[in-house]
Amino acid sequence: MHTHPSDDDLILHAYGDCRPEVARGIDDHLEQCAQCTAVWTELRQTLQLVDAADVPEPDAGFERIVWARVQQELFAPRPARWSARQWLPIAGLAAAALVAMAVVTTHVDRQSASAATIARTGVDARGPERVLLTALDGHLEQAELLLVELLNAPDAPDRIELAFERASAEDLLSSGRLYRVTAHHQGDLRLARVLEDIEPVLVDLARSPDQVDRRSLQSLQSRIEDQALLFKVRTAVHEVRERQQDLITVSEGPL
Amino acid sequence: MKQMHLDDAAAVAKAKGGDEEAFRVLVDRHSRSIYRLAYRMTGRAEDAEDVVQDTFVRAYRQLSRFEERSNFATWLYRVGFNCAIDYMRSRPRREAAEAPDVLERRPEADRGPSLDDLVFAGEIGACIETALGSLSPQERAAFLMRHFHEYSIEEICAALDLKSNAAKHSIFRAVRKMRLALRPLMDTRLVKT
Repeated sequence: MHTHPSDDDLILHAYGDCRPEVARGIDDHLEQCAQCTAVWTELRQTLQLVDAADVPEPDAGFERIVWARVQQELFAPRPARWSARQWLPIAGLAAAALVAMAVVTTHVDRQSASAATIARTGVDARGPERVLLTALDGHLEQAELLLVELLNAPDAPDRIELAFERASAEDLLSSGRLYRVTAHHQGDLRLARVLEDIEPVLVDLARSPDQVDRRSLQSLQSRIEDQALLFKVRTAVHEVRERQQDLITVSEGPL
Repeated sequence: MKQMHLDDAAAVAKAKGGDEEAFRVLVDRHSRSIYRLAYRMTGRAEDAEDVVQDTFVRAYRQLSRFEERSNFATWLYRVGFNCAIDYMRSRPRREAAEAPDVLERRPEADRGPSLDDLVFAGEIGACIETALGSLSPQERAAFLMRHFHEYSIEEICAALDLKSNAAKHSIFRAVRKMRLALRPLMDTRLVKT
């Protein structure tokens, strides 16, 4: 090749997209032309640097979350809605039983474990847990409010305004993902699971228009009811508050 | 639940017949690679997760179009790229950098390099993201297909429904922007070493 190859020729050459005779011509030229060799070297180094850009790995439960979201979209049945009259008493009893169990077990276990840690190290190593619980308390309370608002949304015949709920879901979605990852890292799988469970509904609400039709709203309401999401969130709120209280009690210690 | 042991071809054949668990095998096997593709396309973890979901939903609905003799992973990549393009077109462009939780997600084993290396890698990532962010979704897809997934120009044309010259020019523009964006970093690195 007697003329200098263009930048575009060099890019094609770098990716092996030139015809063989063109590629040979460029190689011959590069052997003789310092100016083009400098451009070629800089191009190759740039492409190598692009490879250095990292993609963060999703956390351990990623496949399960993807499947839950895909399954919901593709395979979830749309059964007849349970009325609140049917499931609220059952959910209420179950919630009371679960909260009572959680209070007893976490109180006994955590109090003794924390006291032992502090006694051994002189330091309360549960700072990160406290930070997570404090953040989760507000987050779950907001999620609970959102679910209640959705379940009680007016059953208008035409379009239903959900702009506020949609914006709220967007906020909850980004913070919820952060808390879910943190809960996973801290081994708090039960709370992570609750956050995973509400995420698909938040995703769909966040991606919906500001006004939805009656059928879309009913679909969201069915999912909240069928999966007992409000119940799960309320149970989690109780648990988080009990655990916060435990932490305060332990850090104050016996007088 | 016990996972079925199926290769892609067998899982696709069963999933075509409506076998939910067979499709789950494909989701479990390929969701991370689609996530990487989606992350490079969108630059945000949250958006990448949405694209992964869209990809598998669309793939399932188009499974009847998948030809048995083709490679499922390659076909799924094409679906993924197109989902990412649609997703990016449907949303306003975001300038925000990666969320802080990304650093949290990196496993300890990956935290080997020195602080300088990490800072440098972060600067590269930010520069590349800036350069990619200035590209249209189509240009971005063409470049990523060629650079990271080694698609041929013909394959890029087929996947994105482009003519050969349009695919090449998308790649040229992307590489030019990369060179501009990364030049200061390369100079810095050379000075340090």
